[in-house]
Amino acid sequence: MSAFTIARLDLKRLAVRPFAWTLAGVALAILAWWFLLSLDAFMRAQPVLAGDPEGSGYTDLVAVPHLLNVVQLCLLLAPLLTMQALAGERRSQRLALLAASGVSAVQIVLGKFFAVLAFLWLLLLLAATMPVVLAHATTPDAGQFAAALLGCALCIAALTAIGVACSAFASHPALAAAAALAIGLALSFVDSGVRATGLAGTGWLSYLALQTHLTPFLRGLVGSADIVYFLLLTALALVFAIRRVANEKARG
Amino acid sequence: MIPTTPLLQLDRVGRRLAGREVVRGVSFRLERGEVMGLLGVNGAGKSTTLAMIAGALAPDSGSVRIDGRDLAEAPELARTKIGWLPETVPLWPELTVTETLDACGRLHGMTRASRNIAIERELLRLDLAPMAKRLCGQLSLGQKRRVGLAMALLHDPELLVLDEPNNGLDPVQAAQLRELIGTLSRQRGTILSTHVLAEVEAMCDRVVILHEGAVRHDASLSGDHGMLDRLFLAIVRGHAEAPA
Repeated sequence: MSAFTIARLDLKRLAVRPFAWTLAGVALAILAWWFLLSLDAFMRAQPVLAGDPEGSGYTDLVAVPHLLNVVQLCLLLAPLLTMQALAGERRSQRLALLAASGVSAVQIVLGKFFAVLAFLWLLLLLAATMPVVLAHATTPDAGQFAAALLGCALCIAALTAIGVACSAFASHPALAAAAALAIGLALSFVDSGVRATGLAGTGWLSYLALQTHLTPFLRGLVGSADIVYFLLLTALALVFAIRRVANEKARG
Repeated sequence: MIPTTPLLQLDRVGRRLAGREVVRGVSFRLERGEVMGLLGVNGAGKSTTLAMIAGALAPDSGSVRIDGRDLAEAPELARTKIGWLPETVPLWPELTVTETLDACGRLHGMTRASRNIAIERELLRLDLAPMAKRLCGQLSLGQKRRVGLAMALLHDPELLVLDEPNNGLDPVQAAQLRELIGTLSRQRGTILSTHVLAEVEAMCDRVVILHEGAVRHDASLSGDHGMLDRLFLAIVRGHAEAPA
């Protein structure tokens, strides 16, 4: 109940904070611009694509890359939205108030996590409507699009959890944002060397990379191993955050 | 005479912060209907002691008992029985006064009906009704402290823990607060920290003087106003033995 109360309270604060809406507005404007560019490129390529019956279609070339753009923007948005979640609360003594209200560390962390996640998932859904509105004029692969949407949602959840964990450990919100951005980028590019050698998908560096597990979703393949990876990453980050907040009373 | 359980009892409470022993073996008790002043210079350990009483900070040693129950074993007591006004009022600047009080009521597990009644009551009691729709971030320091006090009182706690309650209040508001504390303390226990002697003399039945994290004096206030002044200065200057 208290986790829901905190999530509701934080969502309300996000809703009235110009910072969050400005970020969301700018992100949607950028996504719309990128969407129009890729749609234009797709239309220009029609004479070539029409001649290849096995070639990529609207889903592969426009809709799914558009969802991937949302994830890439969330590499920046998630740290910016989560940086205040716990580091800001601690600085303004609101974390002490929550502790004195009898709210547990689990409830605090889950409440903060779900509030930002709901905001980012709403952004993902709004962005997803852009390719969907053209569904009547094209022949989109609904299954592939749904799988890609699921993969992106899971990836955003993991990035949000990492942001909350960084906010739990950092003494200043800016440090939390920088740490979350660094971890997100590291997880995105950890296997870039391996990929350059053409051995992508093998070894533990590839396993750690977000892209290794997101790519199958973007191709329309929903694998339990990939789902487990994102859930594990999310759970691990949240557990670290919960432990840090639980120690808050003892550390002072 | 049958011994009664005190509303609040601190038993040899100690706490280190950043490697420094901020509170050392602090013991005292507070009965219902009593107003106790925690007096000390800046850095004496008053806020840390109050944070431990409020359940925001865990003691390294000793125990804080509310109604005979250890706060460490029953943390929900902090939620139901204690109202805390910290030195820095933790408000949400993006929310209005009413929204802030509503959020606070939710955190204390109050139902919608009881929240609405309590919010109305505190808005009137603390003269906050004219600014009910204003954002907390736009309030003056004194107004913020009144909102903080409303947050502490919202769930009608048995123990009121006030850290420097008069900070930022003008003389009229300070006088109103003194009257309010006098009224509120009839039904509950009140502990307030300050470094202003006149506040203690005006509001409290008893005084505990903290110096360098330890209790140096714990006694009821006598009518001799000059005595507390002399004792406090003597303790701070290191001429008095503790505790009384």
